Amino acid sequence: MAVRVLVADDARFMRQLIREIIEAEGFEVVGEAADGRAVVEEFTRLHPDVVTMDIVMPKRSGIDAVREILALDATAKIAMVSALGQEALVMEALQAGASDYIVKPFKPDAVIATLRKVVEKEQ
Amino acid sequence: MDPVKYRNLFLEEATEHLAEIGRALLELEKDPRAGAPLDLVFRLVHSMKGMGASLGYDAVSDLAHKLEDRLGRWRARGGIDEPEGLPLLFRSLEALERMVAEVRATGGPPHPAPETVAALAPAEGEPEPRKKAPPQPARVMG
Repeated sequence: MAVRVLVADDARFMRQLIREIIEAEGFEVVGEAADGRAVVEEFTRLHPDVVTMDIVMPKRSGIDAVREILALDATAKIAMVSALGQEALVMEALQAGASDYIVKPFKPDAVIATLRKVVEKEQ
Repeated sequence: MDPVKYRNLFLEEATEHLAEIGRALLELEKDPRAGAPLDLVFRLVHSMKGMGASLGYDAVSDLAHKLEDRLGRWRARGGIDEPEGLPLLFRSLEALERMVAEVRATGGPPHPAPETVAALAPAEGEPEPRKKAPPQPARVMG
């Protein structure tokens, strides 16, 4: 059964790019969210296997969304999407309970390897 | 990755972002300490950086990266607290607009803006603060 992914990023460009990379490897994108509030709502509605979470988003940061999602479901698996210069924020997200992170610009193999690792991770 | 498809997505989204940045700068002109427009510009510039890097548009990602760092320092200090701040922001916006126009006209990567990038660098001896957490709801939602 395909891994079900919720993609959260405020940039359409990035959502499309992640979708293309992971769908090519057989993952299923079950939903998209463009802000930190919508991703929590979509998580509650869709119960995905994994969330890709941008850090800098409107309405609620990706880190706050991680905290909210994990408060709703402590077993949730979340891969942060980070960029150059966000090392401190990535650390904060991992401390908040995110499982791992992927880095922009995306290297497709690394994105897939990270998501597989996150999905297979024991709680 | 289909370069034409993603170039078009970049042109569409970057054009929207630049218009939004322009409106936010007008708000900052009225109040350089206003948090919401500063947070908005930070987020949109961050997005430009990601798109530029993904397409290999180093001129866009380099300028956006330096601008993001400068914006981060202002956010950490509670607003734009330097007289050259707003002119520098408008100059950076113009440079980004020129780059997007160049991509639209040529289909290729744009030329850099080294003088603007250099102007965005921290003053000598100015510490690099830890990057402030992303926008909080109360400030962004308005």
